[in-house]
Amino acid sequence: MNKDAAVSAELSAPLYIAWQVTNECNLACLHCIEESGPGKAFSDELNRDEIFAVLQQFVDQGVPYLSFSGGEPMLHPLFFEMAEFVGRNGASLKVETNGHYLTPENCARLKQAGVKAVQVSLDGASAASFSAMRIRGDFDRTLAGLRTLHAAGVPIEINFSPTGFNAHEIGAAVDLAFTLGAESFYSGRTMYTGNAVKTWHKLTPSEAQYADFFAVLRQKEEEYRGRMRVHFHEMGLLDELRYRLHHPAALLIVLPNGLVKLINALPFVCGDLRRQSLSEIWANFQRAWQDPKVAAFVDRLAHDPGTTSQLHQWVRL
Amino acid sequence: MQLCKFVKFREESFGGVLFETRSEKVYTLNQAAAAIVREIAAGGDMAEVGPISQRLKTRFHDPADQLEQDVLALIRTLQQRGLVEEQP
Repeated sequence: MNKDAAVSAELSAPLYIAWQVTNECNLACLHCIEESGPGKAFSDELNRDEIFAVLQQFVDQGVPYLSFSGGEPMLHPLFFEMAEFVGRNGASLKVETNGHYLTPENCARLKQAGVKAVQVSLDGASAASFSAMRIRGDFDRTLAGLRTLHAAGVPIEINFSPTGFNAHEIGAAVDLAFTLGAESFYSGRTMYTGNAVKTWHKLTPSEAQYADFFAVLRQKEEEYRGRMRVHFHEMGLLDELRYRLHHPAALLIVLPNGLVKLINALPFVCGDLRRQSLSEIWANFQRAWQDPKVAAFVDRLAHDPGTTSQLHQWVRL
Repeated sequence: MQLCKFVKFREESFGGVLFETRSEKVYTLNQAAAAIVREIAAGGDMAEVGPISQRLKTRFHDPADQLEQDVLALIRTLQQRGLVEEQP
């Protein structure tokens, strides 16, 4: 048994589908890669028939793991039906949410659907930091939702995006996650993408802040070993993309309108689930990573980080 | 014995993959390992070392009578990594 990740080119289908089910969101976060927000749903998001046809394909092809994100996925009118479909058909599902809709009824339904985990974004250990990052966000409501989720028995994961104004709270945020019953805590460098391109001057931590930030995370990783998984990656966006050029993950990013991207942080689209089968798109995914335009884009990024402002100007390969 | 709830198995042309979706770790399996895991995934009383080895002897050439040891070794590895559990 080899614990290294399977080489995606040898696989019959993706292992992981990350589906942005809607671009609508109740918040308008400073760093949102998708530039989601109130009134930002795409005009051509998949309809009911299309959604369940796509889900059926994922099941038929044996995709073992899906995540639903957004925007705010719990705002999608079919969110629970979709989650229940995934659970009923034996795949694992992670829900990535801002935690504002974790009512007792919704948490009970998530538990009943058998979701693997709910990942909640909690960028700070104080209302001040949280609200500075998550415009229209409510820190106390998020904490209350997390407590309700824990009481319902749904596994919790916390995600933390560092900035110049919240990086110093990382230790307290890890501790808070543990007291809330989280099983995992994730962090890494905030990416210069989406809304962050416009707000970078307010966001970016200095290298000294990052050094302190990762030092605390290393310490917390040890402190919580065996009790809560503290996972973080220090690699920046460019290094990550260079690595992926040679080691594509067995992961497809599905946009709310059914287009399929190679990876979030690139503008390249390798398929359209409205018009193509998953098998066809998976084959094209393998070819697309070899397309010279992808490597050229990553090279351009090294000289001009602002290239990431073009992520939503999709390029079909 | 059975696969843990969040462990997913899929057969592939090279054998198979086990995906531990809680830690998001992927394990690749060769043909023989995939055959063992397929038996475990099928579940029931037959998902134990003896019955699995007996069934696999009909499929794999085993002149050194090594198969049962291989099955045992793989199952131990799966247990150590938290990928299988006893049935309730």
